[in-house]
Amino acid sequence: MPSSPYWRKRLIDWGGTLILMVALIVVLFPYFWIFLTSLKPTVLVAQPDIWVFAPTATNWREVLLESDVPRYLVNSLIVGASTVLIALIVAAPASYSFSRFKTGGGPVRFSILAAEMLPPAVLIVPLFLLMFHLQLLDTHIALIAAHLTFVTPVITWFLIGFFDEVPKELEEQAMVDGYTRFQAFYKVVLPTVRPGLAAAAIFGFVLSWNDMFYALILSGGNNKTLPVAIAGYWTFRGIEMGKMAVAILIAIVPVLVASFFIQKYLVKGLGGGAVKY
Amino acid sequence: MVTRRSLFPFSVRLIVPLAIALLVVLIYPLIFSFWVSLHDYSLTALDDVRFVGLQNYLELSGNPSFWNALRNTLIFVFGAVFLETILGFGLALLLHRPGHRFTNVFRSILLTPMFITPIAVGLMFRFMLNQQLGVLPYLLDKVGIQIDFFGSQLALFSLILIDVWQWTPFMLLLFLAGLESLPAAPFEAARVDGASWGFTLRKVTLPLMKPVILVALIIRGLDAFKVFEYVYAITRGGPGDSTETILYYIYKVAFRFFRMGEAASMAYVLILITMALVIVLYRLMTQEEA
Repeated sequence: MPSSPYWRKRLIDWGGTLILMVALIVVLFPYFWIFLTSLKPTVLVAQPDIWVFAPTATNWREVLLESDVPRYLVNSLIVGASTVLIALIVAAPASYSFSRFKTGGGPVRFSILAAEMLPPAVLIVPLFLLMFHLQLLDTHIALIAAHLTFVTPVITWFLIGFFDEVPKELEEQAMVDGYTRFQAFYKVVLPTVRPGLAAAAIFGFVLSWNDMFYALILSGGNNKTLPVAIAGYWTFRGIEMGKMAVAILIAIVPVLVASFFIQKYLVKGLGGGAVKY
Repeated sequence: MVTRRSLFPFSVRLIVPLAIALLVVLIYPLIFSFWVSLHDYSLTALDDVRFVGLQNYLELSGNPSFWNALRNTLIFVFGAVFLETILGFGLALLLHRPGHRFTNVFRSILLTPMFITPIAVGLMFRFMLNQQLGVLPYLLDKVGIQIDFFGSQLALFSLILIDVWQWTPFMLLLFLAGLESLPAAPFEAARVDGASWGFTLRKVTLPLMKPVILVALIIRGLDAFKVFEYVYAITRGGPGDSTETILYYIYKVAFRFFRMGEAASMAYVLILITMALVIVLYRLMTQEEA
């Protein structure tokens, strides 16, 4: 039967595509449902059997114009941007040093990885007490310090893989041209890893943006961030569900957009120049 | 040009900013935390902080809530990581078909859950799985199935499924990258020898992928250990204490009961577990370099 392997292959192909379709639906349905809920009139939110209705912008208007969610969004932006900026400034030279000169060798790389993996429960007690004694609780500074504890090691680890790929000749040439070592790093090497810097910055920002554990304890009142604000919605009656859906979408849509830009850099970044794929 | 001589070589000067930053936000808090763990340190009695030596640590062994939280966390970690590995590997195999038209679109969309803030994921599923409001119980009811996702029987399992939704993409990401980097020669040889698909998978793909799988397992395991948001968003540890995980319990002891010394000692036990796994992870990662 000459056609048998052909049909077998077709069948496997179609079966595979079918499974992927199911996976796609499983991934997309929650987004769809939350979006649908955000457009539902308040009376229909608690009714899962209603799929077709006249959409309303009431929830969106109330959250965007009449609630404090925009303020919390700005808080998240401030904390995320400050954290990433500081982390990049301290991490980029260090990563370069780890990559080019193997500074500190294995123990240092191990420490960076260990810092990256440290559970937040370990640091929350001392950070809370320190901020309490410094009277910095509920300020952006407290949260930025906390986010630096994981964003800095992640970005350091992330960049090592990118610096590993810069040929040594590049900076040697720059030094022949009269640059100092630091200028060679700053003006020649750094621009060549710009995609890596951008991916690391976006990834670090997403980590800060997504954190709720530290934010729940270290930020509050007017200075709380978006994830903490979202968590607060459930304490209201089921009636607030439409607004919660809007707040959730505001928190996840920017990240979903960013994810498409960094997906292809992520594996190299996670490997930290160690895992060679 | 005469360069300025310095006490430290260039390579060391480059890491000074990082060293200072980590000293301030990481090392110092860690040391302070250890100091706290050796004291009877309650937030409600700050003027009465007493040195108690290892008492906080010794009392942990007789604390049933701590062991319950540890047990729940281990069930959660093993259940979630196991399912995510199987599903992630299966999906990676399906997506690893070069030249397929929709592969890129599929991959980009399937990876999205891992980027979302876990608290949003927790609330989304709390809403969708809710007995009265939820769309899933409603749909299941239509086909005659009645499930209470957050009842005492299923709550921990439901949290595992939510974790699977969010983090299978992470496994998929690493496995796809792994598959793409495998050498072509062994697969050619297997094809020439007329090896079946299942045989090739068992004898060629899996052995070659072993290092990647181990690294992914440990990273994901370490991360799953930190589960907090789903518990906070959905069950708050209940029903009873059936979904109380270690991070949630530490949070409760520190910020509901204000017993900082006790919480710090639990955190240090957690460091030991974490470090053991990180040592294995680091060995695996650097082995591959050779």
